[in-house]
Amino acid sequence: MFHSLLLNIRLFFRGAVLSYIALFRWFTPPAYLASKVIAPLSYMLFFVVLGTFATGKESASFYIIGNSVQMAAMSGIYGVTMSIGGDRWDGTLPYLFATPANRLALFVGRAAIHVLDGILGVFLGLFWGITLLGLDVSKTDPLVLSVVILITTFSTSGFGLLLGALSLLTRNIMFVNNTVFFLLLIFSGANLNLSLLPEWMQTISWSLPLTRGIASARKIISGSAFIEIAPLMGTEFLIGVLYILLGFLLFRWFEFKAKRKGTLEVM
Amino acid sequence: MNAIEVDNLRRIYRPVMGIFRRKVKEIVAVDDISFYVKPGELFGILGPNGAGKTTTVKILVTILIPTSGSARIQGFDVVREAEKVRPRIGFILGGERGLYWRLSGVDNLRYFASLYHVDPGISKSRIPYLMELVGLEDRGKEKVEGYSRGMKQRLHIARALLHDPDILFLDEPSIGLDPIGAREVREVVRNLQAEKKTILLTTHYMFEADALCQRIAVINHGKIVALDTPEALKEVVKDLHIIEVEVFGIPSEVIERLQAKGFIENLAVENVEQRQVLLIQTARGSEAVPDILAILNGLRVGKISVREPTLEDAYVRLVGNKGE
Repeated sequence: MFHSLLLNIRLFFRGAVLSYIALFRWFTPPAYLASKVIAPLSYMLFFVVLGTFATGKESASFYIIGNSVQMAAMSGIYGVTMSIGGDRWDGTLPYLFATPANRLALFVGRAAIHVLDGILGVFLGLFWGITLLGLDVSKTDPLVLSVVILITTFSTSGFGLLLGALSLLTRNIMFVNNTVFFLLLIFSGANLNLSLLPEWMQTISWSLPLTRGIASARKIISGSAFIEIAPLMGTEFLIGVLYILLGFLLFRWFEFKAKRKGTLEVM
Repeated sequence: MNAIEVDNLRRIYRPVMGIFRRKVKEIVAVDDISFYVKPGELFGILGPNGAGKTTTVKILVTILIPTSGSARIQGFDVVREAEKVRPRIGFILGGERGLYWRLSGVDNLRYFASLYHVDPGISKSRIPYLMELVGLEDRGKEKVEGYSRGMKQRLHIARALLHDPDILFLDEPSIGLDPIGAREVREVVRNLQAEKKTILLTTHYMFEADALCQRIAVINHGKIVALDTPEALKEVVKDLHIIEVEVFGIPSEVIERLQAKGFIENLAVENVEQRQVLLIQTARGSEAVPDILAILNGLRVGKISVREPTLEDAYVRLVGNKGE
């Protein structure tokens, strides 16, 4: 029992590192620089300039923080779905599904490095905000902000696992990724005050990851204490767990259906 | 107990065609086949493309659910007890895919060792051993994307052996390889046979099956049409001789006229560059040559030879002219 647990932990970590290198197609210096450094900076500049033009310079921090935390979705959505869906393109699915590997360790391990990568992305976004756009972080508790970023990146990656499992069904990774990423730009509250949205849209917003993370980060940077955002973060964490479980169920369902229909190798 | 037992296995695919007017087509890939493989035996499944070889292997390695029938590996059912089957088997499906091209050969093996729960201490020594076994010891640290097709195929074999399984399924391991690459793969298979592994090998290369397998099932259109030792299979054509006639630009009506002749048991046509080689099976041997030449009158005829039948000729007789 204990030995089996150790082997599954090993599978989780080794799978995390090797699947990141093997399947994350942006893991080359030019692609990484373009997609994880330059593109996020462009997004941020665009939305900050547009937002402050529409609502005034005093709201700059709203857009800087929102778009920085949104960067968690770059890794959580694009990275994680590539690491799940990439097996279809490499033709490795039949070999994976014929192993006795614990499917949960295999599945969740695919997201682990992307969580770390996502944290780096959010900090990079905040760094651009501070150095280029004058974001004031003087009242921020860095430890609490780090916890917020960790939980938000975790929940977003959990959502990415669900999308990754979905991409196995749809066979089109980028279609799923792009649609969800840009919908999140609206629904997460990164660039809109959620109270301006119709009620049904707000319901969607609060059932997604990121929304509470962005709201919490704004509060922490403006000087709120951890206790004020603890309920938001608790729910954000649970949302992440829920999406992981949904993704895992979908992954297992895909495995069963593909074996039944003989579609494991279909590209 | 047999290593592999297959009883009345049947698999039907039902692909859906069309977007608006959806039609379901039914394709019987494996049609009521039964066979067994003894421990330590090298068993071959021989058949043309689309005969059902790969489908059979996929069912046996637990990645495809049969429509009906059953199969057991060391007594464990491949559907109901798949979890017990998986650690006992290793397999490769033909072709280059199925490896992580951005990882090195060794990293591929490390990852799959984790997936098969190979103890870290064991995998540390086993990976170099396997890389040496498949002749990749000097290329292990290179990314797989730089490997030749033959190297990838050999890496696949190493991957299949990581957890030291008793039973190996090799689905067309030499397909698409150059002659040297194919010979190297066959050499690896021979070494595995010497290690007393049970091997189920599928191929459509007759000489490969003849050289390696102890027993062969010939499969066509999903059905087993013959199952015996290579020597016994050759008995099917023992009374026949093979006349090979090289011709240039033979019209289809001439082929039909030849096929209609009662003394010709079987006729296969191989296209070799701009010429065709007629493989004619006949009991009359060289006596049939004048009659054949009479039908070919007016065509440019090259080399003519009469030889004893091989396993390939037995195969042609068993599966008909549609075989490759």
